[in-house]
Amino acid sequence: MTAPWQKAIRDFWQESTRTVLVVLAIAIGLAAFAAVLSSYAVLTRAINEGYLATNPASATLHTDAIDDALISAVLADRDVSDAEPRRTLWARIRTGPAAWRVLGIFVVKDFGNIRLNKLVPEHGAWPPATGEILIERDAFQVARAKIGDTVTIRIGKGKEQTLHVTGGVHDVGQPQARMENCVYGYITLDTLARLGEPLDLNQLNIVVAENRFNEKHIRSVAQDVKKLMESRGHTVHDVDIPPPGKHPHADLMGVMLLAMSTFGFFVLILSGILVVNLLMGMMASQVRQIGVMKAIGGTRWQVARIYFSQALLLGIAALCIALPLGILGSRALCGPLAALLNFDITSFTVPLWVYLWAVAVGLVVPLLAAAWPVWKGSAISVREALADFGVSRNTFGSSVFDRMLAGIGGMSRPLLLAIRNSFRRRTRLALTLMTLAAGGIFFMSAINVRASLIQTLDQWFASKKYDLTVVFGDAYPSDKIERALKNIPSVVRSESWFNAQGILPPRPGASTLDGERFFVDAVPSNTKMLKLDIAEGRDLLPGDVDAIVVNTVLAAKSPEMKVGNTISFRIGPDLTSWRVVGIAREPFPPAGAYIPQAFMDKEQRHPGMRNTAFLALDSTDAASVNSVKDNLERNLQREGVRVLGSNAKADMRVGVDAHMLMIYVFLVVMSGILVVVGGLGLATTMSLNVMERRREIGVIRAIGARPSTVWLIIVTEGVAVGVLSWALAALAAWPVSKLLGDALVRLAFHTKLDFSFQLQGLFIWLAVSVIFSAVASFMPARSASQITVREALAYE
Amino acid sequence: MISLQRVTKTYQTPAGTFSALRGIDLEIKAGEFVAIVGKSGSGKSTLLNLLGGIDHPSSGSVTVAGAALQELTETQLAVWRGRKVGFVFQFFQLLPTLTSAENVMLPMDFCRTFPPRERRKRALDLLDRVGVAPQADKLPSALSGGEQQRVAIARALANDPPVVLADEPTGNLDSVTAGAVLDLLRTMASSGTTVVIATHERDITRLVDRKVEVADGGLVAATASTPAAVPEARR
Repeated sequence: MTAPWQKAIRDFWQESTRTVLVVLAIAIGLAAFAAVLSSYAVLTRAINEGYLATNPASATLHTDAIDDALISAVLADRDVSDAEPRRTLWARIRTGPAAWRVLGIFVVKDFGNIRLNKLVPEHGAWPPATGEILIERDAFQVARAKIGDTVTIRIGKGKEQTLHVTGGVHDVGQPQARMENCVYGYITLDTLARLGEPLDLNQLNIVVAENRFNEKHIRSVAQDVKKLMESRGHTVHDVDIPPPGKHPHADLMGVMLLAMSTFGFFVLILSGILVVNLLMGMMASQVRQIGVMKAIGGTRWQVARIYFSQALLLGIAALCIALPLGILGSRALCGPLAALLNFDITSFTVPLWVYLWAVAVGLVVPLLAAAWPVWKGSAISVREALADFGVSRNTFGSSVFDRMLAGIGGMSRPLLLAIRNSFRRRTRLALTLMTLAAGGIFFMSAINVRASLIQTLDQWFASKKYDLTVVFGDAYPSDKIERALKNIPSVVRSESWFNAQGILPPRPGASTLDGERFFVDAVPSNTKMLKLDIAEGRDLLPGDVDAIVVNTVLAAKSPEMKVGNTISFRIGPDLTSWRVVGIAREPFPPAGAYIPQAFMDKEQRHPGMRNTAFLALDSTDAASVNSVKDNLERNLQREGVRVLGSNAKADMRVGVDAHMLMIYVFLVVMSGILVVVGGLGLATTMSLNVMERRREIGVIRAIGARPSTVWLIIVTEGVAVGVLSWALAALAAWPVSKLLGDALVRLAFHTKLDFSFQLQGLFIWLAVSVIFSAVASFMPARSASQITVREALAYE
Repeated sequence: MISLQRVTKTYQTPAGTFSALRGIDLEIKAGEFVAIVGKSGSGKSTLLNLLGGIDHPSSGSVTVAGAALQELTETQLAVWRGRKVGFVFQFFQLLPTLTSAENVMLPMDFCRTFPPRERRKRALDLLDRVGVAPQADKLPSALSGGEQQRVAIARALANDPPVVLADEPTGNLDSVTAGAVLDLLRTMASSGTTVVIATHERDITRLVDRKVEVADGGLVAATASTPAAVPEARR
């Protein structure tokens, strides 16, 4: 090994504690980066292998009975590579005494030859025999069932029937059952017959032959197929085109990975700042050595190379820690993300390119960070370097700022010393403050974003004045429903509504297929169940006929949705025309609109028919809600009204909160990591400060300071930096929280927050800053207090 | 005031054991102004460090202002040093972030020797005594070398110590300023403070009561100044 390398290594070894601190900081940044990168690699591969391997349908056409002749005709189209009929019907399922759940039944013609939307058998029987049902693996928990159980099923108005659960399948294409709170079941045509349903398969799934990921192409192919089917006398009610090649929840995963990679990059920059700090300190303390090296013939580049190799060593050491840590981290990340998307990760093998990137970044970041301090430090001339008295002779007092600081009084001298000392190395201070403040800003943002989310949700939920929603399987005369709703204990108020689906016209330039779908609630004029939060315009008024209030989610979908405009969309087969009178603030999906009940009560529509009921209860605990549900079911059954499902507002809120918690936890974890990096930065800074002030510490000791006093002065200096970083973070917390909250929520939900600033966040962070900076300066302070006076005075 | 008996000091160096001091016996009375002279590396700084409790003897005893220094812990030494000894260094060693007055008040803060309210007044008095009262609220970087050393002397006197130790106090000053600083030390000794300085100054004999020469870790000779010079200087 050459002498310069020896020097690089030994210099580090001499200051091993500080070297370890900086290596740890870089390692954290690198590990975060590597974790996100490998998660990205593993997840995209798993999606490709998992989701695309099921051969997902490019489009689904909903029609009447599909026969083999039709399939052959469709397959004759050269643009269609495959077509397969299926049937989906919605029913209810119950296991033993558990409550009814929504059940999506998928009827498969031939379990031995599924070519589209493939299922993966996981446990038990395959294929299911007649009278048997397979359940999606994630839905077992929703159904509260296990293999071997007998479940009760009810389709439409039919009577209750039982099926055996004989197996579990993995249906990658379905969103997580727990998240959707419904059960997916798979049966054969024979079982369908036993359930008393007609044997029609009414969904045609097709896969396009080319350009599988081109939505425009898929639309045009689907349009041709639709025409073909219609020409053969079939009716096509609806055409579904899911985003091609994209798992239903892939966007959510993308948002999370994007947020995490931004963050990983950020941490990496912060750890780079630490390298700048470390090398600036080292270059300053080695001025004389640099002078000597130049005096004995070293060129600037030769000198600089020694310090660059130190930066390289930092990177190599950090990589040794960061790579395994990052890979472990990616496993921890991928697990929950894959579960969220309901797919399996068969292999955590990280591709080579991830390693190459991590290594490249791990080596380049420290080198880049070192570039400026090293190049600048190595520029000093031999004469200047040898005349240097050492770093403790820097001239405090030459700037206005110093003199201003000197003007601060009214404190004991040790305290003054600590505070003024913290301002001596201002570049170092600024860099340290940046890293510490970043942690604070993220922490306060986490608190503020959470509070804002809660406030936004509170306001939204406050507009819903009911506690329980009941959706019927069909529309029923209102008097039947009213009778059923009567005399149920604990129901304070009830109303029944008509709910329909609106379909926007297709966007200009798109194919002739349908546009966006949204819910349309026909609201009674004197409703007590809904108090819309009107953002613009007005609410519906008694006497309104063609007035519509759209929610903000729907308003965002089309520039036409403005107060005063006339809009038209389809309800069922009819095109209807509406005057937008107001926009109601509903920050989260689904998109929807509110129209007067009078519209549905018109002769040619659904006069007196209702398909939804809203109930306000006097007590909303689970037990009383369940007892209301039971009573209501019994009454409705007596009236011949079929219930599709019921939903307590409290349960809805729990579900939404669980989604929000993810954002909150993410921000808190982020700030935690940043705080650790910031703390390592402060510890490095303090240890550099102590090193540079050894002689001063000796003087202080010589004039009577006890080791504990020296310790206290250094810790106070560290705490002063902590408090300063707190002040910076406090100033930035408001704007950053707002930006960050809006950005995250816009990415995830396409909406905006009601911003709320939490004062307690400031106080909590002040406490954290003080404690953390005291802890970070503990070791440097300890080593400072252990310096003997003789050593300190002899130090150069 | 100061008593050294059979004091030795050895250092372990990679090149072997190095004896900095060998069998030193030395008595210094209260109010004496003593110069320790000798070549570079002769051991005079080591001797001064032992007197100030900055370094421990390898053997023998060092008694200064009533305390047997070899028996004290680091913390006890710190307290003792703060109250009993004032230090003056070659490079002044004022703390750059404190003003002159604050530098003088620092030892009082450390040792809690005077009531907090009186500390500033005392610091100003001391600065006045050494002739730099107008510089009280300036930072060290705004002072000349001579002024800085005067502030350092005021700081050494902060806790009214019976002993002041000065290591090459004039080594970094021009001859006129150096003379003024030595005069100041002479005045301190004349008013009862024991002053020991390590120095290269040739004509120090004129001012001090006694000159102690150190060579190769041992005392060469203890030379008393001319008795007449003492009362002369004391006036």
